[in-house]
Amino acid sequence: MPPTAGNLGTIALVAGLALAAAGCSSSHGSSAPTSGAPKATTTAVTVDLTPQGCEPRPATAPAGEVDFTVTNKNATAVSEAELRTSDLSKILGEQENLTPGLSGGFSLDIQPGSYTLNCPGAAKQHWTFTVTGAQKGPAWQSNPQLAAAVRSYAGYVDRSAAGLVTRTQAFCRAIDAANMAQAEVLYPKARVYYERIEPVAEIWGSLDTDIDGRWENPVTVPSQFIGFHKIEQLIWADNTLNGAPKLCTGLVANERQLLTLVQTAQYNPLEMASGATDLINEAATSKITGEEERYSNTDLPVFQANVDGAMEVVSLLRPYLARKDPALLAQISQRDKAVETALARYKATPGDDDTGYVEYSTVLDPQRRQLSAAVNALAESLSKLSVQVSG
Amino acid sequence: MSSGPSRRRLLAGAGAAAAAAGVGAATGYLARPAATQTARPQADGAATVPFYAPHQAGIATPAQDRLAFGSLNAVDGATREDLRELLKAWTTAAAAMTNGKLVGENTRPYAPPLDTGEAIGSPVSRLTITIGYGPSLFDQRFGLAGRKPEALAQLPPLPNENLDPDYTGGDLCIQACSDDPLVAFHAVRNLARIGMGVVAHNWMELGFGRTSTTTTSQATPRNLLGFKDGTRNIKAEQTALMDDYVWVGGETDQPWLRGGSYLVARKIRVFVENWDRDYLQDQQNVIGRTKAEGAPLTGGGEFTPPGFQATAADGQPVIPPSAHIRLASFEHNDGTRILRRGYSFTDGIDPQAGTLLGGLFFIAFMKNPAQFIRLQRSLAADALNEYIKHTGSAVFACPPGLRWDQHGGQHWGDTLFS
Repeated sequence: MPPTAGNLGTIALVAGLALAAAGCSSSHGSSAPTSGAPKATTTAVTVDLTPQGCEPRPATAPAGEVDFTVTNKNATAVSEAELRTSDLSKILGEQENLTPGLSGGFSLDIQPGSYTLNCPGAAKQHWTFTVTGAQKGPAWQSNPQLAAAVRSYAGYVDRSAAGLVTRTQAFCRAIDAANMAQAEVLYPKARVYYERIEPVAEIWGSLDTDIDGRWENPVTVPSQFIGFHKIEQLIWADNTLNGAPKLCTGLVANERQLLTLVQTAQYNPLEMASGATDLINEAATSKITGEEERYSNTDLPVFQANVDGAMEVVSLLRPYLARKDPALLAQISQRDKAVETALARYKATPGDDDTGYVEYSTVLDPQRRQLSAAVNALAESLSKLSVQVSG
Repeated sequence: MSSGPSRRRLLAGAGAAAAAAGVGAATGYLARPAATQTARPQADGAATVPFYAPHQAGIATPAQDRLAFGSLNAVDGATREDLRELLKAWTTAAAAMTNGKLVGENTRPYAPPLDTGEAIGSPVSRLTITIGYGPSLFDQRFGLAGRKPEALAQLPPLPNENLDPDYTGGDLCIQACSDDPLVAFHAVRNLARIGMGVVAHNWMELGFGRTSTTTTSQATPRNLLGFKDGTRNIKAEQTALMDDYVWVGGETDQPWLRGGSYLVARKIRVFVENWDRDYLQDQQNVIGRTKAEGAPLTGGGEFTPPGFQATAADGQPVIPPSAHIRLASFEHNDGTRILRRGYSFTDGIDPQAGTLLGGLFFIAFMKNPAQFIRLQRSLAADALNEYIKHTGSAVFACPPGLRWDQHGGQHWGDTLFS
């Protein structure tokens, strides 16, 4: 069956994934498809595969959506056309397996720059394709409410990361002073800053592991179990501070690195929304089971921190959502209230380790199930945010 | 930290997000094409069972091979309106799924798929979805106290039970039956997902083999005891018996329930290791039938009526006084009958004993739960009790079927809330 427009999404998909994989530490690739990019301009480009080559017509397009239609006229030795970066290192889109008489194509959202259309087997294999215009930001940037939300979120992440460093330093001072009781109190006070922004920290996978890794996650390698939870194990399970000062110094160094990274990071509304769901998913899995803070049983304050981090996102998106989907906003608010009500049952003064909550081990299975039902309902609602902010 | 690498990059992930658009566009949601449905072998009846009918499907429907059963409780704070809206949403989803469609279209790349997707491409395999309301639904929470049928109450303590609260009760139940286990599971999973924020799972059970015959066209299956089960069950063709013993009629104090039925679910653990060590003749005496043929001990074939009065040369009854089929028979219970529709189940291995954690997930439909209570009390003397224990229990009132007319389809809850 000849390729049709309907099944070509997969080809652009491959290119997109490759870029995403390569792009997480670099700037957005010059040609990376961009979430929420404007779809206003679509340029149709015809590419005929002939023994001579694959000349794009036109060879120039304004930035935006470009729809390539590839037809093999009469080229028995040529069966594909690929759009590559000008250095040929990355394939952005392609149509393969076109024997004479068949046609297909692919669509891409392309940023300005020079590209190469490549058709192996032709007399002239490389053809230049130029995209003109100014670098355009994604559509959400022109929405003042979304743009403001993203800016504010960057500030929230920065402040949380800074608070994490400060609070962890205080925790480390107690450890250095061999003050176990104070260390127990200061541990959850530092943890909550991390748990509000954890999906951001997870971008730099090894940093997340170094700061927040558990013994079995991702690997059961003692040399990689060096973060919060190793110190937690020493304090609560092993009842010792031996080795803790050195671990704490390393922990602060890693947090400082995180702080540096988040200060230059860029966010977008879709990622904020996904991150909110991720935070509540976290609460619904590792917090409900007590797995995360298994030695200290301080799961409730970090559970609250997950909810706080997610609801910060909702709060920042509220002006936008109030117009875009007020029903969803109302549902999220109602379900957040239900979570707060469920959590409030376990508030205590001063609480376990001065956390404001009882020790999580005292929360029994039926009660955990009530918490779980509330938090899963909230996560389900939050998962509907992303489509509303994706432009 | 999360339990694995984050699937979504929070930043610089735009490429992946945009690429996902391609997936949605290319995949589409044409699950279970009609050609697949009609091509399915029709040995056990049509591939789809009509959803809109006078009685809910999944009761008189010829028993499918597989079961997924969910008991759900309303969550704290759920309101009457929430419940009503949920029942509407469930109706729409159930009508779609039993017709071989997904619970929602989904081509939006930035929205979680509305349908969870595991049944895409699986023939609908006679899926039926039957719901019921537990006694607790009629407490003060939803203003339904005045709609509670008098006959709907928690079952009284009954012989040979040691109930696990984790497998007992429920505000609502969903019984999904299909010849394909994935299709049945998919139905319960998606309805539970739709219900989040209003209801949450109380418990759930999967049944892997039907243990009853509900129509004369079906061969009698066997339960985990290795015996044929359901030989003397009410059959759907026996419409007079269905009216007398299964369908709620004018006798109910609640008109909304007319045409419905009561569902009694019992999780019955079978100590199969012990049973398997019992010698054949004793197994047959416990049941009252031969193991191979399923014939009553008084002779004939499977469908020969048992001769409960027959005595052997020594003057003792041929079918022992404690035989299961004697104590459970309508002859022994003033004519009381029920429609059994159970399934074999296993939850794996008992973590303490190392023995099989499995048995019969008993489901029966009846005009009044008193029928089950009567029978279960008779079974106090059942020789089989040595090998079984009831560990879970629930009772639900299943409303009647829904009508489709020129105004569209009725919804579950329409009559309950009106």
